[in-house]
Amino acid sequence: MSPTPQVPPLALDVQDVTKRFGGLVAVNSVSLQVKPQEIFSIIGPNGAGKTTFFNLLTGIYKPDTGKVLFFGKDLTGMSPDKVARQGVGRTFQNIRLFKAMTVLENVLVGHHTLISASYLDSLLHTGRYFAAEKKAKERAMELLTYMNLDRKAQTAASSLSYGEQRRLEIARALALEPRLLFLDEPAAGMNPQETEDLKVRVRKLRQDLGLTVVLIEHDMSMVMSISDRIAVLEYGSKIAEGLPAEIRNNPRVVEAYLGKGAAGTAGDKV
Amino acid sequence: MKEAQANLVVPVVAALASLWALLSPANSLANALLLVALALVALLKPQQWVRALTLAGLTVVFTVLIREQSDDKFAFYGLIGTLLSAALLKVPTYIKVLIGVAILFVSIPLAGLGNSLFLELGVQVAIFSALALGLNVVVGQAGLLDLGFAAFFAIGAYTWAIFGSGQANNFIAGNHFPLNPWLFFVFLPIAVVTAAIVGVLIGLPALRLRGDYLAIVTLGLGEVVRVLANNLDHPINLTNGPQGITPVGRPPVDWLINILNGLGLGRVYGRPIDESITYQIFFYVLALVVVAIVIVVNVRLSNSRFGRAWVAIREDEIAAKAMGIPLLPTKLLAFATGAAFSGVMGAIYGAKQTFVNPESFTLNQSIFILAMVILGGMGNIGGAVVGATAVTLLNIDILKNLSDQLNTWRQTGFTLLGYNFANLPTQLEPAKYERFVFGLILILMMIFRPEGLIPEQRHRAEMEEARLEAKDEGKLQEGSA
Ligand SMILES: Nc1ncnc2c1ncn2[C@@H]1O[C@H](COP(=O)(O)OP(=O)(O)O)[C@@H](O)[C@H]1O
Ligand SMILES: [Mg+2]
Repeated sequence: MSPTPQVPPLALDVQDVTKRFGGLVAVNSVSLQVKPQEIFSIIGPNGAGKTTFFNLLTGIYKPDTGKVLFFGKDLTGMSPDKVARQGVGRTFQNIRLFKAMTVLENVLVGHHTLISASYLDSLLHTGRYFAAEKKAKERAMELLTYMNLDRKAQTAASSLSYGEQRRLEIARALALEPRLLFLDEPAAGMNPQETEDLKVRVRKLRQDLGLTVVLIEHDMSMVMSISDRIAVLEYGSKIAEGLPAEIRNNPRVVEAYLGKGAAGTAGDKV
Repeated sequence: MKEAQANLVVPVVAALASLWALLSPANSLANALLLVALALVALLKPQQWVRALTLAGLTVVFTVLIREQSDDKFAFYGLIGTLLSAALLKVPTYIKVLIGVAILFVSIPLAGLGNSLFLELGVQVAIFSALALGLNVVVGQAGLLDLGFAAFFAIGAYTWAIFGSGQANNFIAGNHFPLNPWLFFVFLPIAVVTAAIVGVLIGLPALRLRGDYLAIVTLGLGEVVRVLANNLDHPINLTNGPQGITPVGRPPVDWLINILNGLGLGRVYGRPIDESITYQIFFYVLALVVVAIVIVVNVRLSNSRFGRAWVAIREDEIAAKAMGIPLLPTKLLAFATGAAFSGVMGAIYGAKQTFVNPESFTLNQSIFILAMVILGGMGNIGGAVVGATAVTLLNIDILKNLSDQLNTWRQTGFTLLGYNFANLPTQLEPAKYERFVFGLILILMMIFRPEGLIPEQRHRAEMEEARLEAKDEGKLQEGSA
């Protein structure tokens, strides 16, 4: 057992991670530090390696080189379920809900590791089983209320609207009681009203739960208004990092977006 | 049809059909009308209590009919249909329990006293229900395609057979075997544990693979178990090889003979209750009790974090992992659970048959169990039982009767719609139609009702979605063309 450090360590300390797919360097020696309770955004054109970067941090891929520290703990090479159990929640760019389950059941799956009832408890319907299930259901309903989905608790996850599905993914990730939340394009497919709503919720999450949030997002108005700091990826490399104002005025960033012919969308919003 | 009309039509049709059938037994038209009445109970939507009363009435009528005519298969199937309707349709719970208990513990044993075939059908259905429930945990709930499931049935059967017969004397010195047949009841939990352990042993290498690979490896490992049973008669004689093990001990039933005679069932039987019918009743009731336990266990697991984790893994492994669910242990748990269900039934099967050999645990058997799960509706507990009932009765009774019927028609030169059955080519052995018709039924089911007889609520949503998506795609293609 290592002694508990005096200074609270970084929430996330990524050192020099690289991931290659054959000849393609999807993530190229990226380093990144995120402080506890920060809202940190990662932006960059499509194919820049943002999602791959998330997958490296959550154990879905193993980095070819480099190291990932989470509150001082080495996550490098850990399996995704183990990473999740350390207190890392995530959502997916291409929504990955358990479609055959109800909204409530989806969140309960998120509670899986926190429910204390053992296999035998569940078989014998012990007091512990009932207590654990009751507690889990109450917490799940709280989270659904928090994400404004409580009225949909008993509907099939597949029947939710796009925006609702994204919110349910967040609720499910929160069910892990994570210390760090990765959101991969949470506003994609949302209308402006829903996006606005999401912004408020993410800020509230940090405030209420003391969460650290790392998000990938294309909606620049959201990114600029919500982030404490922003990092920019292009072709797998980090080309800039800083406060929103710094990023907005960084010539390399503007070029990366303009160069992609995305001036119309990115430029306006930046 | 409106509820008010249904409230009238259903009981009236049922009453008329009952009257007619009771007045003229073995009248096939009257019998057909009774089945129509049963179908109306399900298809029309009368009030709950009308439905409940009609089903209760039909239970009594079928029971009387089967007592009057001890070879009345049709009344037997009527009872099964009534039971399934009561279990699956919306009726008050106490009525479900009442009809269920009446049919399972009164009607069928009574029918069995007249014709023990009915008890045999009942016990087979119960055995395969437990197997289907076990495989349903693995394939239906956790989404792990296991093609070697009969292996666990074999493990359970051999666990008791080896020690419940003289077989173990071949490798344990001292002539301690066969064990006291009462120890059979101790071996039921032992069979559960043994099968679960073998489930883990087979699962450990196999469950690292996915999809098609898993299917092939389980198929192979399932065959390994059978081949081992076939060959472990040397150098040490563990299984007695292809000859199998016999006689396998059965718990004594003198006490039950006394009880049954005390109940005056000898009069129903036509002679004093003997050992053979008592064993049939004993194993029938035992198998039912075990199925009931398996169902309770299955329902409880489904509503626990483990059941949810299994469905989560089936739906999306990556998302399940991101929720902290450890894949291999959770899959192993599903494997061990399913194996345990079939292990206990294996032990019962061995004792019931008093004979165990490798031929009962072939790939064919595994495929049949899988067919039960798919036909019934994957992931659904009621579906597994319905599927097991349908496939078992088809296999051991309905299709056999069909081929017997064809044989008779061929021999008597029966003519149907201008076709003389005497002209059936001799190469087409009617026994082979059994498999052919079974295959046909499977194909038709997959075309017209791919989600199974009783689809999992969850699954139905998925299928519907896939259908809508397919439609949308069709539209898009039309649009672009
Ligand atoms: N599993 C994979 N196998 C091969 N190439 C991949 C894989 N995942 C991502 N890539 C490639 O890596 C690059 C980065 O992709 P991604 O991380 O999804 O980008 P972003 O999320 O920034 O849009 C893309 O060129 C993509 O095609
Ligand atoms: Mg992406």
